[in-house]
Amino acid sequence: MSGHVPLEEMEALALGELEPAPAKEIEAHAGSCAACARELALIRAEQGLFARRSQPSIDALWPGVAARIAREPRIHRPHWARRIALAAAGAAAAAALLFALRPAAVRAPLAQEAAASESKRAIADALATLDRAEADYRRAAVVLESEYAAARKNLDPELARRCDETLARARSNLGDARTLAAQDVNARLRVLEGYAGYLRSLRSVVEQSQEANP
Amino acid sequence: MPQARDRTSDQELLSRARAGDAEAFRVIFHREAPAVRRFLGDLLRDDSAADEGTQETFVRAHQRLGTLQQAEKLQSWLFGIARMVFFEHLRRKRRDAVPQDSGDPVEIDRAPGPEEVLLSSEADQVLDGALATLSQERRAALVLRLDHGLGYPEIAETMGWSLQKVKNEIHRARLQLRQRLQAYLEGAA
Repeated sequence: MSGHVPLEEMEALALGELEPAPAKEIEAHAGSCAACARELALIRAEQGLFARRSQPSIDALWPGVAARIAREPRIHRPHWARRIALAAAGAAAAAALLFALRPAAVRAPLAQEAAASESKRAIADALATLDRAEADYRRAAVVLESEYAAARKNLDPELARRCDETLARARSNLGDARTLAAQDVNARLRVLEGYAGYLRSLRSVVEQSQEANP
Repeated sequence: MPQARDRTSDQELLSRARAGDAEAFRVIFHREAPAVRRFLGDLLRDDSAADEGTQETFVRAHQRLGTLQQAEKLQSWLFGIARMVFFEHLRRKRRDAVPQDSGDPVEIDRAPGPEEVLLSSEADQVLDGALATLSQERRAALVLRLDHGLGYPEIAETMGWSLQKVKNEIHRARLQLRQRLQAYLEGAA
């Protein structure tokens, strides 16, 4: 070995990370190089000091961790995946609804009475599906709204004010549209589209807030 | 000296924990929490805050288990989460306007002599005093290397630094530490 041993290699030797051959080579070099021998001795003294530190007791900490994780949902997914899954559930419900309400022309011909009965059932099913889809969208919105509330402080105050106004307007429009839609299936479908737009806006402001994290 | 770790077992435990096996996560906690607690203790220098930070780190780890693909990165991944918990703790304290460790070196009264390092509790005292003189980031890098045995690339990943910065910071930390511990180290070396 020519010259001195790099510090990282001596450190690796002291930490027991080297294979026997390079370890032996460094030891041999230190045997004939006073500077490296001193450095190695100092590193070992430091290491010895760290190794003698007492181990903190963690037994009392586990019950608190166990209690908190017991309250969590059991499926581990990235938070974006969870939000997207919620939004996707709403979209899937809307798609199912569109299928249920496909034009009569493409369905098999039915007797008039049977057709009337089927139509009533289809509308009832459609409204129930719309209720579920809307609930899914609302849950997704609550998750995103809370994330925005937590990250909003990172935004420039003027930008935060504009985001607040946009979101408030979108919420107000959605509320009005939902009231007007009542039990009209087509109008309710447009409300779902409004929810999808609102979620996209929310996601955008959450991303901006998180990226602005100081 | 860092212990050799049973990576196969880590992988198996992780898979079970991801599948919702609470016992597997409890084993992970008992295996990894002492190092995380000591790391946070070194950064926060407050036992109660370090206990809370350790709990928070493992609750978050549990939520994010699905994002950890390689079992061999478990420890550095946990240190990365602990480091974020530490920064959030600092931000909270700043918001609350309570006087706290600003990250600047803190002077201690005197350097210890070799006669003071007879028991492990005294080793704690000696190191605590010396580590307190380092900035938080430098202290974190040094303890990850010397106390927890993380390699330079793992420290770079945990701290979000370049490899060169890790080397520079650890080198500077070591020089500062030696200045404080000169009497003890010279005696022991």
